Amino acid sequence: MLEDYPKAIVTKDGTSVLLRPVVESDEEALSIFYSEIPKEEQWFLRDKLDEPETLHRWLKRLDYSKILPIVAVREDDGKIIANVRLHLHVAHCIVHVGHLRVMVHPSYRSQRLGSWMILDCIKAAMDMGLEKLFAEFVSGVEDSAIAAALKLDFKHEGVLKDYIKDKNGEYHDLIIMVRDLASEWSDF
Amino acid sequence: MTNRPSVPETDSESPDFVIESEYGRILLKSNCKASFFDNLEMDDGLGHFSHYSSIIKKIDSFNKYAEREDGRVTLAVRDPNVVVGYCIGSYPEPNDRWTLLGKLMYELAALELSRNFRGLNLAYRLLNSTMNDDFFEDKIAYMCGYSWHWDLEGKNLTAGQYRNMMKQLYGKLGFREVYTNEPNIALRPENIMMIRVGSRVSAEDNLRFRHLRFGIKPK
Repeated sequence: MLEDYPKAIVTKDGTSVLLRPVVESDEEALSIFYSEIPKEEQWFLRDKLDEPETLHRWLKRLDYSKILPIVAVREDDGKIIANVRLHLHVAHCIVHVGHLRVMVHPSYRSQRLGSWMILDCIKAAMDMGLEKLFAEFVSGVEDSAIAAALKLDFKHEGVLKDYIKDKNGEYHDLIIMVRDLASEWSDF
Repeated sequence: MTNRPSVPETDSESPDFVIESEYGRILLKSNCKASFFDNLEMDDGLGHFSHYSSIIKKIDSFNKYAEREDGRVTLAVRDPNVVVGYCIGSYPEPNDRWTLLGKLMYELAALELSRNFRGLNLAYRLLNSTMNDDFFEDKIAYMCGYSWHWDLEGKNLTAGQYRNMMKQLYGKLGFREVYTNEPNIALRPENIMMIRVGSRVSAEDNLRFRHLRFGIKPK
């Protein structure tokens, strides 16, 4: 499956972008990417990859059998403009489920880049034989990602009311979305 | 009883090769011309699609493709005259987006095997016979796999598993998946477009194709 990369896409404004797995030498480019995510959004990052030491440690432990991290890279200058991570499980009871996290650089939103990244993740998950993809989004913060996921047939599976607290102490719902990969095309 | 296959054996019509199978002798023939289709019959294991009507419903349908400019029909025929599989290639249909690149693009438009003749590696052999030509070094050959065309019931596979099978099959011949916003492909994530770029296709043509995949028309 990794041999399928890099995969080329072209954004709505004509920018040529390559999707490929993260490699250790991406540290500087990823560090720049996360530093350009607005502070109020960095607050919600679970893995804290915006912190250089955390990012460094994370890159040292890259293991595609546990996490498949894909970056979108501008073909002309190598700038990383989006990142999606497919978290895989080793526990037998949830080995059929993948967990998706996506982040797009603010300058490249509304270019359908997030949709392409999520679609790539769905296809990768299918190729791995996963049966479900699970994603969590913060209501009021990641609404564009929720919209992209809905277009790709993710369904609302639940809401954790006031589960997330923002920098100002305001509560947000955590939206649980699931994409069933094993279902047949019942809409035909 | 003769051992010669009943399919005509002139230089232009002799089979590419013969497979001895538990189902009998199967002849593979690429670049079949219109005269080749006379007296052939379709095996009853062809054409089982729950959600779509095949472009090939009867033997006469092969003529339409064989007579097109550079049209290709490769057949697997159980001796003496039963079509058990086929592969069809042609330039894109007139309304297809890919016609904007002229004769650069060449579609492997259909590949089907009878339900009664699976497990003989015939799909690969049909494809390989069709593609085994220097003609393809100047082309971007492509296939579009739509899940509603797939015989999921017959194969007892999910759409995701069938997609994987297609990737492996075409991958053996140098095809790789590419992304596109072409509406039919984009409709379902299991749908797949795979391409093989010929060795003489220029980087510029490659780039034009990439842009066209995302709806940006060539200048």
